[in-house]
Amino acid sequence: MWYSVKKAFTNLLSPPQTIDYPATPIKRVERYRGLIEYGEEHCIYCLKCEKACPPGAILFTHTDTPTENPKNKKSLAYDYNPHLCIYCGECVRACPKPNEALWQSEKKPGIGVKEDRVNERWFEVEGRKGS
Amino acid sequence: MGRKIIDIPLGSQHISLLEPIKFRFACENEKIVDVSSDVGFVHRGIEKACTTKFAYDAVPYVVARICGLCAITHSLAYTTAAESLLEGVVTRRAKYLRMLLVELDRIHSHMLCLSHTAENAGFEAMFMRIMGDRESVMDIQERITGNRVQFDYVSIGGVNRDITTDIEKEIRKTLAFIREKTHGYLEEFTTNWSLSLKFKGVGVLTLDEAYRYNAIGPLARAAGLATDVRSETDYLPYNEIGYEMRVGEGGDIYSRNIVRLFEILNSITMCENILGGLPEGEIQTKMKGKPTGEALVRLEAPRGELMYYIRGEGKAMLSRVRIKTPTFASIPAFIEVFKGSEYADAPAILASFDPCMSCTAK
Repeated sequence: MWYSVKKAFTNLLSPPQTIDYPATPIKRVERYRGLIEYGEEHCIYCLKCEKACPPGAILFTHTDTPTENPKNKKSLAYDYNPHLCIYCGECVRACPKPNEALWQSEKKPGIGVKEDRVNERWFEVEGRKGS
Repeated sequence: MGRKIIDIPLGSQHISLLEPIKFRFACENEKIVDVSSDVGFVHRGIEKACTTKFAYDAVPYVVARICGLCAITHSLAYTTAAESLLEGVVTRRAKYLRMLLVELDRIHSHMLCLSHTAENAGFEAMFMRIMGDRESVMDIQERITGNRVQFDYVSIGGVNRDITTDIEKEIRKTLAFIREKTHGYLEEFTTNWSLSLKFKGVGVLTLDEAYRYNAIGPLARAAGLATDVRSETDYLPYNEIGYEMRVGEGGDIYSRNIVRLFEILNSITMCENILGGLPEGEIQTKMKGKPTGEALVRLEAPRGELMYYIRGEGKAMLSRVRIKTPTFASIPAFIEVFKGSEYADAPAILASFDPCMSCTAK
C-alpha cells in the first residue's frame, strides 16, 4: 500500500519520458549515419562504390558535359539517390579515397516530394545506365 | 443437448495483435478444443530476392530487413555462413563486438515482449515504463552502430564500426541502469497480482510437449527443456563471457516472463564482460573469392534458434538461401498450448510467445 502511494507520488513528480518537440529539438547522436557526400575533384572513377552499393543508389552514367577531372576518361557523371540509399556506408568502405572522394555525413536527407520528381528523375538515370 | 463447437477467429487483424497472424479456434463454451493457424500475411519474397537480385556480399543488408527486432541475428547468421564458405577467419575483436550487439538486441527484444505481456494483463502503466526504459538500450545501439533499428553493423569479414572509450562508458552506464530496472521488474513480475498469480497455470507447455512439438528458445526453457544454441555451437565464444542457461519450470506465462527476465540479467553481465575483456585487433578482415559449397548456421535469436542454409556455386549470386525462423519452428508448440486454454486468455498467451510474423513470413 505505502509502496504504491510512494510510487504514485514519485511518478507524478518525475519528468516525462517524451520530449517537448518541436520546442526541444531531437537529440542527434554522434556518428549518426546520414547522407553520402561526394567530392568530385578527388574521385578516380574506379566505380567501386557503384558495385558495392546494395540497393544500387549510386550510379555512374554517360554524360555529354563531363567534368574537367582528368580521371574521368569515360565521360561519366555521378548520381546518388538519397531515398533509395540505406545508409550502410558500404560505398565509403569500398572507396580507395574515403573522406576525400566519398564520405558519410551526419546530415539528414530532404523529404522526397512529387515536385522534385524524385522517382522520375531516378528512373531516367536508371534508363541511361541500362541503355 | 449435444456438444456445440463454435469457430472463433483471432486475426489476421486484431486489437491484441502487433503483426498479422491468423488463428481459428474451435471453442466448446469458453474452452479452446482445436486450433488452426495461418502465418503468411507478410510474405515479401526475401529468400528469392537473395538469389536473384542481390550479390552475396549485399545479402547481409537484405536479410537484416526481415525483422526489425532481431535484424542483427539475421545478418550475423548469414555472414557466419558466408564466411565459412569463403574460408575466412574473423578477428576475435569483431566476434566480441558482434556478441555485444546480439546481446543488446536480446535485452531490448525481451523487454518488448515483457511490456506486451504486461499490457495484455491490463497493466498499461508497466507497459509504458518498460517501453520507456527500453529506449535507453536503443540509444546505445544507435551510438554503436549509427542507427536505431536497422543497424547494418555486420558485414562479411567483420563489423563496420569500432567502439570508442566514450561509447564504452555510456554502455556501462546504461547497462547498470537496465540492471537496476530489471531487478525492479523481477519484483513486480513475481509479486504483483496482475503479472504473477494471474499468469500462473495459464498457457502451459509441459516438458513432454516441448520435446514432442519442437519448442525452442525461452518457450522451451520455461518448460524445463535445456536447449540454447549459444551453448551448443562455437561460432561465437559464449563460454568466455559468462553465459549461463536459465531453465524455468511450469511452462506457463509466468515462467516464460521469469526466464526472459533472468536472460536479460545474464545478457547484461555478458555485455559487461565483453567490454571488460574486449580483445585488441582489427574489426574487418578482407575476404576474397566467391562462395562455393553449402553451409548451415544456427544462431540463438531472442526468440530461439535461427537457422540459415546457403549454397553457392562460385558465382556472385547464391543459388539457394533458406531461412528457418524461431517463430515458424514453434508454431506446433503454440497450437498445443492453446488447446485446453480459455478463449479469453488467447491474446495473453500469444503475447507471451513473443511471436515475430515478419520473420516467419519473410
